[in-house]
Amino acid sequence: MTDFFATMKLASSGMRVQSERINVIAQNTANADTAPEKAGDLPYTRKQIMFKNVLDKASGEKMVAVDKVIDDKKSEYLKKYMPGHPSADADGYVTMPNVNSLIEAMDMKEATKSYQANMGMFTQTRDMMSKTVDLLR
Amino acid sequence: MTIENISLFQAMNAKMSYLAERQKVISQNVANADTPGYMSQDLRKVDFSKLVANVSKNKMHVMMEESNPAHMAAPDQSPNPKMAKSKSPYEVKPDGNSVVLEEQMVKSSDVQMNYTLMLNLYRNAADMVRTSVGKKS
Repeated sequence: MTDFFATMKLASSGMRVQSERINVIAQNTANADTAPEKAGDLPYTRKQIMFKNVLDKASGEKMVAVDKVIDDKKSEYLKKYMPGHPSADADGYVTMPNVNSLIEAMDMKEATKSYQANMGMFTQTRDMMSKTVDLLR
Repeated sequence: MTIENISLFQAMNAKMSYLAERQKVISQNVANADTPGYMSQDLRKVDFSKLVANVSKNKMHVMMEESNPAHMAAPDQSPNPKMAKSKSPYEVKPDGNSVVLEEQMVKSSDVQMNYTLMLNLYRNAADMVRTSVGKKS
């Protein structure tokens, strides 16, 4: 039974990190059009989430946890021609966030898939456990 | 006489705890499906037929205790499965992660099927014991 409890703990740690990932993706998508305050400033920078292995000392299992949320500095900012915008530069271009909604959508799909896989493990283990308890009847 | 002293039950117990542990390892893989550098793990296969053969020969062994991992296991003791890296993962992602969710799902459904089989066997054997002690069910 202790193995089953550890399994459920592992699966829930997986679900927790995946939901944080979805959180970050939502933040990126929501800020996809956040322009800088004045010309020359950087706009919203896309955030990326990193996972890491954490040894749970109580059970000796490799739980998963959020390592850090970092700014994506490698993707290029978009330039949008909006001469009337207050943060437009001399040529009339505004630097827009480096969020690509297609990438975010794919990332979201992957996160959902991982979440469901963890959920599947959780349900399956719970079924196994309840069937074991049913032996008492 | 407790039920654990009957060697058939002992064998079934051993297999069930092996399956529970394997489920835990699979869950660990699923939780770490997006952790960079994580290599998927699995338990070594355990030959339970040897165990059952010992049981069916109906020899009465005096159990030896393993107080040190270097000790050899007694003949009717269940072998200790060791954790190992999966030898041939389907693929390794560019970030060094070798967990393939589909592979893990196949493994976990295999575990569940075997576990249900063991549970049904256990129930039948327990019913037989109950019948022999004259309990009407």
